[in-house]
Amino acid sequence: MHHANHFYGHAHVLARYCGLGDGHPPRINGYIQHGWNIGDGLAPGHPYAEFTPSLLWSEQTRRRAWSVGRRNVVTIGAPFAYLLDLRADDPPEPQRQGTIWYPFHGWEGQHVKGDHKELIARIRAAEPGPVTVCLYWHEYGMRRVRRLYENAGFRVICHGYRGHWWKDTDPLFLDKQLTELRRHARVASNRLTSAIFYGIAAGCEPAVYGDPMILADEDPTFGGTARIRRQWPELHGEQVDLATAVEIARAELGTDHRCTPAELRELLGWANLQEDDVDD
Amino acid sequence: MTTETAPRIALPGGEMLAWSDLPEQRLVEGGPLGALLARVVPAGARVLLAGPHDPALLDRLAHAEVTCLLRSHPDGVALADRGARVVVGGPTGLPVGGRWDVVVAAAGPDAVESVEGPRLGWDGVLARLADAVAPGGTLLLQVGNPLGVHRLVATTPWYADRADSAWSVGGVLDTGRPANPEQARARLTAAGLRAGACFAAYPDPSAPSVLVAADELDRRPTSGLFDAVLHGACAGGFTGTTVLQDPARLAVDALYAGLGSALAPGWLLLAHRPDPQRSTLADADALPVVLVQSGSAGVGVVEVVDGPDGWRWQATGGSARPAPAPFATREAARRDADALDGPVPEGRLLRTLLLDACLRRDLDTLRHLLRGYADWLADRADADGRLAGSAALAGTDNVVVADGGARPATADAAPAFAVLDPSWRASTPLDLDVALARSLWRFAAALLTGGYAHPWTSTLDVAGLTVVLGGLAGRDLSRATVAEAVEAEAAITAALRGLDADGRVRLADELRGVTPTDPPAGPRSYQQLREAWVRQREEMTRLAALLKWTEDLLTSRERALRRADATINLLSGSLSYRVGRLAITPARLAKRGARAAKRRATAALSQRRPPEEQQ
Repeated sequence: MHHANHFYGHAHVLARYCGLGDGHPPRINGYIQHGWNIGDGLAPGHPYAEFTPSLLWSEQTRRRAWSVGRRNVVTIGAPFAYLLDLRADDPPEPQRQGTIWYPFHGWEGQHVKGDHKELIARIRAAEPGPVTVCLYWHEYGMRRVRRLYENAGFRVICHGYRGHWWKDTDPLFLDKQLTELRRHARVASNRLTSAIFYGIAAGCEPAVYGDPMILADEDPTFGGTARIRRQWPELHGEQVDLATAVEIARAELGTDHRCTPAELRELLGWANLQEDDVDD
Repeated sequence: MTTETAPRIALPGGEMLAWSDLPEQRLVEGGPLGALLARVVPAGARVLLAGPHDPALLDRLAHAEVTCLLRSHPDGVALADRGARVVVGGPTGLPVGGRWDVVVAAAGPDAVESVEGPRLGWDGVLARLADAVAPGGTLLLQVGNPLGVHRLVATTPWYADRADSAWSVGGVLDTGRPANPEQARARLTAAGLRAGACFAAYPDPSAPSVLVAADELDRRPTSGLFDAVLHGACAGGFTGTTVLQDPARLAVDALYAGLGSALAPGWLLLAHRPDPQRSTLADADALPVVLVQSGSAGVGVVEVVDGPDGWRWQATGGSARPAPAPFATREAARRDADALDGPVPEGRLLRTLLLDACLRRDLDTLRHLLRGYADWLADRADADGRLAGSAALAGTDNVVVADGGARPATADAAPAFAVLDPSWRASTPLDLDVALARSLWRFAAALLTGGYAHPWTSTLDVAGLTVVLGGLAGRDLSRATVAEAVEAEAAITAALRGLDADGRVRLADELRGVTPTDPPAGPRSYQQLREAWVRQREEMTRLAALLKWTEDLLTSRERALRRADATINLLSGSLSYRVGRLAITPARLAKRGARAAKRRATAALSQRRPPEEQQ
């Protein structure tokens, strides 16, 4: 299994949904799309073995992946959508309040160019209630960046480490994220990212505003932030139409394409597991 | 002398002595043609069967006075033995001035001409036959289609015909013969007849197992009935032959393109010689819309007739219905002709709707259709969750969906499903999930082996795709249920095909062994064989790429392991490790001792146990 399948504990969530318990998930026969993506669903530069299944979130991504030459592409919905199903019966939060704000992050190999102070001023001006800033673990570990947000009076959190090469994956990453999202009334970011869609699906009002903070070595293949703003203008702004946002999030997370456990076991290659494949 | 042993044979000249035309493959009771003749020929009528016809037609025409015009002497002898009046010779051998109430040339004018004597050609033979129709009488004429489905799938081009009958190859380039029904009607009119009804004949123009009213075929291109009937005729009609492409696919595509009649292998036209003194013998309006050979003993030809309330089923093979065999109740399924007396539900065939959605990779439509289908089946289950009768066998190829299963814009209403042909019945009830899994497995097998594009990955096997389809239908099917469904499918198919126990076992083995890289069951089609090879090649490519990727990953993981090993070795040599290890030594020794004691105790207990308990 490709190690990216473990990012954010995606494989763990899917294994739980498939009834395989909380242990180490068995190998997945394919690549799970590990984040909202305006390309073919795989990360740029992803080592790709021909005809290996791409297990994608949305129908639109599937079409796009096919158009750029990917085959064996199938829409299964986002792992987060499966988590929502697993935790559909959670007791509701007594009162949602404030905004959870996700400053756009690169991954550890990338460096964000932008002015955090300017962004903080924008957040202060736009957000009516208390603000929780969720930093990517990489930035959370940068004392200077973290302090900037803390000194602005924001609560600063991190959902955990997404993991790398099967190491230090936090299997409860998405769980923590869902719990936090459900505590807040709004979800916001300076870029349209997975977190915004997760937030909408978890019942938050979304907002996308502020300097999108260009990555130093951003891959322009699929059009970058400019294209995102062109294609999804409805989701940009300090206030967006919630019904439209919910509809788009539903499509982008492939919520309607969520498989049943038996169906998913077949698509992930988990239908004929040996006893040894599932360990603790 | 032959004439002495068969005095009813007239030999006016032109007979072929070393020749036979009688069809090798014969349909029960003459098939749809027999059923049509039974309607067209009134009691006591004089009938001329011009050209070779299935001898079973003589039995269907027992109420009439039949004369056979044949070119083959051996065929003439065979028919004379069955009590027919026979003329053996070319078309010129017909007695001058002879008139018949019904003239049948269901093998076409070509098969009437002999190699001996003058050649009349298509038009000349037609003129001769038309002349033999009495005023008020009927001509039933078969016209072959030079661009019919059978021609389009043939591995040998028509212009390279090497058969003994190809002493003269007549094709579309010969303007002396009609190439479509309009041209045929013009010839009939020129011959002094009034052209009437036209039936499209599938899949063999000379021995059709299906006759469909041509105008209805063109008028209703999405009819589930026509879809099922044409698919069934072409899937079964080319068994054991090699073809270029799947004739059933081509026939249904033609239907949807409004060319169901235009691409029919042949047409059967009715024409009448006007007679102001008498009404015509057969009124086109009274003829069935569809006549189809059931393929089941005791059911015969099934008809669909048009009535004031729309189309209705009608079974015609009542006379030949045998008493149930003593073990019939043990068979998993049967065809019940008595069930064929209700209306024919309108709508599109579920199989076609599902195929279309698969090709468009439209998961929403698939989910909508399959959920509706599964719920509809569930509504028909008894209190124990079992389906009986026709509902148990209501597969995607025998269920129609009203309005094509269109999703209403506002409400989330389920599409309206109905069993198309209710005569297919399970003898014993099936568990709802097994019945659903059987239906989905059949669809999955046809989809994968047929090489259709679909929205899933090639890593799914047939059982896997069945489970996935079940998931779309909102049912979490297990592989055990699918395995049970495959066994049920083997038993049902064996019963309907009349297989013995060995045949049933063989069939079950075949069904269990179906893989996505196999070509489909049925005729061996070049296109589908090539597609199966392409799928195999893609699978090899996938596996080779996966193997290389796995090797690379293994190398990388082995390197990581070596690094970890080196770290462990480094740490094991450190002072803190050695002190720690010394500190836990008593605990390690105690654990080892406890394990040894446990082993000894277990061994002692097992020795004490009486021998029978050890087994």
